[in-house]
Amino acid sequence: MKFLAAATEGRISAWLTKHKFSHRPLGYDYRGVEILQVKSDEWLSIAVALYAYGFNYLRLQCAYDAAPGGSLISVYHLTQMRDQPDQPEEICAKVFVSRTNPQIPSVYWVWKSADFQERESYDMLGITYWGHPYLRRIPTPCWSRREDHVGNARFSCSFTYMVKLLDF
Amino acid sequence: MGPHHPSMHGVLRLVVVPQGENVIDCKPILGYLHRGMEKIAENRTIVQYLPYVTRWDYLATMFTEAVTVNAPEKLANIQIPERASYIRIIMLELSRVASHLLWLGPFLADIGAQTPFFYIFREREMIYDLFEVATGMRMMHNYFRIGGVAADLPYGWVDKCLDFCQYCLPKIYEYERLITRNPIFLKRVKGVGFISRQEAINWGLSGPCLRASGVQWDLRKIDHYECYDKIDWQIKWQTEGDSLARYLVRIDEMKESINIIQQALKLLPGGPYENLEGRRIAQEKGRMNWNSFNYQFVGKKSSPTVKLPRQEHYVRVEAPKGELGVFLIGDDSVFPWRFKIRPPGFANLQILPQLLKGMKLADIMTILGSIDIIMGEVDR
Repeated sequence: MKFLAAATEGRISAWLTKHKFSHRPLGYDYRGVEILQVKSDEWLSIAVALYAYGFNYLRLQCAYDAAPGGSLISVYHLTQMRDQPDQPEEICAKVFVSRTNPQIPSVYWVWKSADFQERESYDMLGITYWGHPYLRRIPTPCWSRREDHVGNARFSCSFTYMVKLLDF
Repeated sequence: MGPHHPSMHGVLRLVVVPQGENVIDCKPILGYLHRGMEKIAENRTIVQYLPYVTRWDYLATMFTEAVTVNAPEKLANIQIPERASYIRIIMLELSRVASHLLWLGPFLADIGAQTPFFYIFREREMIYDLFEVATGMRMMHNYFRIGGVAADLPYGWVDKCLDFCQYCLPKIYEYERLITRNPIFLKRVKGVGFISRQEAINWGLSGPCLRASGVQWDLRKIDHYECYDKIDWQIKWQTEGDSLARYLVRIDEMKESINIIQQALKLLPGGPYENLEGRRIAQEKGRMNWNSFNYQFVGKKSSPTVKLPRQEHYVRVEAPKGELGVFLIGDDSVFPWRFKIRPPGFANLQILPQLLKGMKLADIMTILGSIDIIMGEVDR
């Protein structure tokens, strides 16, 4: 795996730079998957570019916060899916947004598998995804996952609020 | 429809808009079984968290444990001995057979055939017995550890497991004789819930749903994890993409799993099974005297833990429902910073509204059953 990482040193990053998409390579994660940092307003064009490159499978979309009070990060793991491949190409794209105004364009129209996963990131961390066809909460009725919520903020929601929130 | 369902579907609420007998629109409402697993993981060491993970997919519990244990192992570069790897393969494939069996029963029960429901429990009880003898628990095993497995297989387990494989394979053929060419079953299932290849990839499906649409994608072959490369087996797939294809893929996978188990049992080497935690406690036995006067009121004794480096990665296994993944961000401490679970049922359930548009009300259960979701992992 390490040999492969050296051989594809920023290959997708180099391709994106060649086609003049602004991004910032963040190195590699522990398995050797390339990580790119993308700005929120440019994310949609880079997503379409990556789809055109061949990344047709959105494996994982999740969100986390960098530190208590820090920025929120939306992570996308993409893969090239083919028949019987051997070590298909993978890439991880991260979109950093501020905590006060977390807005990211939704990639539902590029990869439909972002549907429930973006809804869950919206529910858990409050990142709003523009263009998502049905952005409603999935698991919980309250913001519960942010790191700066002290203790059991989940339980601060009253029962009537939870019942009313079966909104659809 | 729901959230309560008969015959083991978990709590899923489907708001269906029908026009007569046809379904116009459908909206699944999830979250009834949300327990905050990801948040809890941020405050538990991996060994403390292992009992929780079996509650995600409670029918194929070994996979949840495998991925939870693989994540820190790969992050901290811990190698596992070969015997432990083979034991893991055997347990994983037994769990896959068990999961597909318990998918088969309720799927057919929803279509209307009640008898296979009892048949599958006959085999599943045998698998439970094998698990209980090896791990101590029938379902929620807590067997995998970082570095290997918790305890070695007892004496005679290998023979019993071979006996089970020889018993189970004719039974799977019996299921095929009972079900596959049954005209009522075929009418209910053929052509229902068609997913094309492009759709399957775009919607992020995985597992049998993906392989039934013609994509030969199996993480056991792609990621080369554990010792699957040393065993001779094939990916099972179909091209039709309807519910019948998904059923056939799962039946074939069961037969292939029995094949893998038999090969792995023959190839099982000797050697350590490596419970690093147990070894550490045994080393400490001389130093710490937990029964002494100073510790007599200490109820909670901390166990040795693994320090996760400040790295991140995404590990995955081929669970029977699909691709079960964990995105782990370590924090240079024993607790992870972010433990995101990518459940296969969550991704597979997204396609349900699109599949149901234009179908009859009776097809809802067929399609929902053929996608094979389990709410424990969908909601976490």
